[in-house]
Amino acid sequence: MRTVCRQIQGGGYEEGGAASRLVKEQLKRIGADPAVVRRAMIAAYEAEMNVVIHSHGGELRAWLEDDCLHVEVTDTGPGIPNIDQAMSPGYSTASAKARELGFGAGMGLPNIRKNTDEFAIESKVGEGTRLSFTIGLKPQALYGSGRNSIRIAAEKCRQSLRCVHACPTQAVRVFRGKPDILDYLCIDCSACIAVCPSGTLHVTGTAAELKPGADTVLVVPPAALVQFGPGVSAERVLREAAALGVGEVHVTAAWDAALQQAVLEYAASEASSRPVISPVCPAIVNLVETRFPSLISHLAPFVAGFEAAHRVLNGRGALVFVALCPCQRTALTGADSAAPEVILPAAFSAAIFPRLKSSAGARTCPETAAAGDESPLGDATDPRVMRSEVLRVGGLQHVINVLEAIENGLAGDLSVLELYACDQGCFGPPLLASDPHLALWRWEAAPPPPDPEARAVRRAAAFAPRRGLRLDEDMRKAIQKLARIDKLQRSLPGSDCGICGAPSCAALAEDTVLGRVAADACPRQRPTGEEDTK
Amino acid sequence: MRASDLAPRAGLRVVTLGRNPNVSADQVYAGDRISDLLNAAGECILLVTNLASAQLMRMAELLDVPAICLVNEQTPDDNMLRTAQEHATAILVSSAGLFETCGRLHRCLNEEEQGP
Repeated sequence: MRTVCRQIQGGGYEEGGAASRLVKEQLKRIGADPAVVRRAMIAAYEAEMNVVIHSHGGELRAWLEDDCLHVEVTDTGPGIPNIDQAMSPGYSTASAKARELGFGAGMGLPNIRKNTDEFAIESKVGEGTRLSFTIGLKPQALYGSGRNSIRIAAEKCRQSLRCVHACPTQAVRVFRGKPDILDYLCIDCSACIAVCPSGTLHVTGTAAELKPGADTVLVVPPAALVQFGPGVSAERVLREAAALGVGEVHVTAAWDAALQQAVLEYAASEASSRPVISPVCPAIVNLVETRFPSLISHLAPFVAGFEAAHRVLNGRGALVFVALCPCQRTALTGADSAAPEVILPAAFSAAIFPRLKSSAGARTCPETAAAGDESPLGDATDPRVMRSEVLRVGGLQHVINVLEAIENGLAGDLSVLELYACDQGCFGPPLLASDPHLALWRWEAAPPPPDPEARAVRRAAAFAPRRGLRLDEDMRKAIQKLARIDKLQRSLPGSDCGICGAPSCAALAEDTVLGRVAADACPRQRPTGEEDTK
Repeated sequence: MRASDLAPRAGLRVVTLGRNPNVSADQVYAGDRISDLLNAAGECILLVTNLASAQLMRMAELLDVPAICLVNEQTPDDNMLRTAQEHATAILVSSAGLFETCGRLHRCLNEEEQGP
């Protein structure tokens, strides 16, 4: 956004609010959340009117930077002798005229501080006052943390609305033609990315390239090694990766196997809640913490295989991870210890493909490479063990069905569950080019030798329910809003058609009451209260 | 309750209707200080006040207030009417004072809440 700058006339009541209106127009143009616009308008209007009421004149400047609205309001005097006093609620030096117009309640500065994320004021008597504030454009103050790695290129959106229906936690909205993700609901799976026909939704970090160096420690998941078609084995891709000039190459398969073994032992000796859910997929952990908090005690207290690799290999050199999906990227870049560099599978493939072309004759057949090898993953992944003790489920709808079965007490015969957001587990993220079944078959046909350093790592922090949405910080207002949501929902058709851009009528009712969308978003809404008269 | 239904039941005169004739006015906030009104203002909130001024309309515009009720039979001037029409803010007028108007609105909304 360009910087908005407008002069404010001291005593110019007729024009008071004009500068704030310019800020509002800019916020609307970028599609800022209505709750954010509201806070910004309260703060900007109070600040602007302070200049009108108390000063000789000044100006308001506003600009957007780093996902924040920054506003600076300066005046040319007379200045505030005692800022602490001016900040006290109820203290005012407003003129009789200002009081007659409804100003002078002594709530201006407290209101600004209350509605902003950062606030500063400095003043010199005889010179003037400078007030500045910042408001985050994401209304996270009322929400949980919900970090994710999914980004939106709104200009590409064709409003297919597929993402709205695909999201398992109803985190996606497409209001006013622009998609948005509610961070506190997003579990960082790639369901929305998988169905988006225009590339609007994508994983951040697509520009990162593999820049091999002698101290580079490259960590690759199995699926990234089997994206090169028939006849190109995982082992050969590993050799080509090593030949890029990196110091070390590790494959996460053995770390996943170590996790599986550890979870099996945990289920046999320690677990108090069964079946035990392996934390193999961070998106599923997020799902449990968000939508199935009653099942948190079922999660085995370990980190995922790739996270364990990060913990163990950390400090060895310049760590570079190939992340298969947004939740892997988030887990790696948000780790407690130093975050490694993360690239996406496309960047890895781009580095390997030229080498495969130049050495096309030196192919290794998967079948021949596998001949005579024992399973590199050890007993834990022996199909006989998996069949009897570990149930693998891929695909969010199936996972949700299984989790609901556990909640309803219908899964007492299960021991250990490996649940994946993607079909065919980590071979199925939409960032991979090969069909997941083909890729998995090629991996199982010729897996490279296991990493001898692989081991499972216990979590330092316990799993915890994710903080959800609070309708309002004030409980009384929250209850009122809940009642309004309930009432509004009863006036909506209940068909969950999604044409409004919300995933369900219930979600639309909540969005309306929270000011995310106008009250008339549903074309089939009955007038509020109609249901009471029938 | 829709503002257009609420007005006749509470004895309010409709000067101009807002952006959405179905706008719900199931919450009311009354006050005579701009800062208080600012904090309470929002979609679906009917503001009741005796501050018939251009500044009130500017505030309503900034905060997307759908409807305002002026008390004591205060008639909006041309400037206020123009702003209301530009930004589609409904203006209702009550012949009663702030307290009496709030009482009427409370009664209407309470009846609505309890149903027939």
